[in-house]
Amino acid sequence: MATADGLPAPEAMDDEQREAVETLLFRLADDEFVAAERYTEWQVESPTLESDLALANIAQDELGHARLWYDLLEDFGYDEPDLVWERPADEWHQSTLTELPFGEGDWADLIVRTYLYDTAESIRLAALEESSSARIRDRIGKVSGEEDFHVQHARRWLERLAEEADSRERLQAALERLFPHALTLFEPVDEEIEARIDDLGVRTATLSEMRAEWLESVEPYLESQGLSLSEVPQDDEGPDGYALPDAVGRDQSHTDAWPDLVEAFTNTYRELGRDQATKIMRDPDEEEA
Amino acid sequence: MIWEVFRQEDEGDYHTHCGNVHAPDRDMALMFAEIQHGRRKPTNSLWVVPQPEIGEVDAEETNFGGTTDKSYRWAMTYNVDAAAQEVEDSQSEQEEADRERKSQQARGDD
Repeated sequence: MATADGLPAPEAMDDEQREAVETLLFRLADDEFVAAERYTEWQVESPTLESDLALANIAQDELGHARLWYDLLEDFGYDEPDLVWERPADEWHQSTLTELPFGEGDWADLIVRTYLYDTAESIRLAALEESSSARIRDRIGKVSGEEDFHVQHARRWLERLAEEADSRERLQAALERLFPHALTLFEPVDEEIEARIDDLGVRTATLSEMRAEWLESVEPYLESQGLSLSEVPQDDEGPDGYALPDAVGRDQSHTDAWPDLVEAFTNTYRELGRDQATKIMRDPDEEEA
Repeated sequence: MIWEVFRQEDEGDYHTHCGNVHAPDRDMALMFAEIQHGRRKPTNSLWVVPQPEIGEVDAEETNFGGTTDKSYRWAMTYNVDAAAQEVEDSQSEQEEADRERKSQQARGDD
């Protein structure tokens, strides 16, 4: 159980504590890293120079967050090649929402995706503010500080695209495609480990509580923009009556597009015959000190 | 639509023109300006102003400062000890402006 003093330092954790913290960190880090990797595909392809810069900036934010979370995984003995450059494709935990390729030139996809993702991101960061892990807790402020802009960016775009019938139809199509994948943000890596994350107080809201909060936020908002959630895939067995996709990501099942993306972002590392990552920035712990 | 962007580095400073952004409305302009003009340089505040709202008068239309000698305007010849740093700053500012005006005239610029 969580204690008032919180979890011990990483090196003093028992195996169960360690597994819980690692799992939570992989969820966070992999989502951010893969989302950013996809966003960068819009570079020089966005509708205007301004939107290109704004999205590149968001991608840089997400990479920065991934870096903070991967750095905490290094507490447990991993190094950067283990975590990113040499990790097999079937050992990643990101939600499939982050890994899906964009429809070609489909800016509505990017906007709906970032709206669904960043709304969920705000909720899960709030559930870490009082984490029993001091290492996680201490970094939340830095990450949250960049998230408001992401939600604002997605909403402002979405509201403007929703004004016209043609672009609203594109939003609706993107919503129907992406919504099942967005639900995977709240799927368990493993039921038992997720329950342990909650019991240990590593996060203060369960996955289903966070999903409920997310739905309470996105359902009325999307409806208010003239978008219909009754058109997204439904399933009586699924969470809140919505259907999940075949691959949910969290349990290491991924979409067909995923191995190609891993291949792409590790290509240079392999081509140059690297066995370690070049460091160009100070370790986050040194920055904090 | 083009929005002109003005950046203030520190509280109390003037907002200084730093470029522009294309955006359909004020909120989007602010959002883009934040990234385009507030991301790399120290920034305390940004203004965005719709370009058509800016009024302009230039040296082709008017003679700034007039055409006759009004050198009494420039407090550079009193030869008294400056009463305060501000007075001294003001004097040197005016001397600098005077030099610039003269060099502009020498180049034959308007």
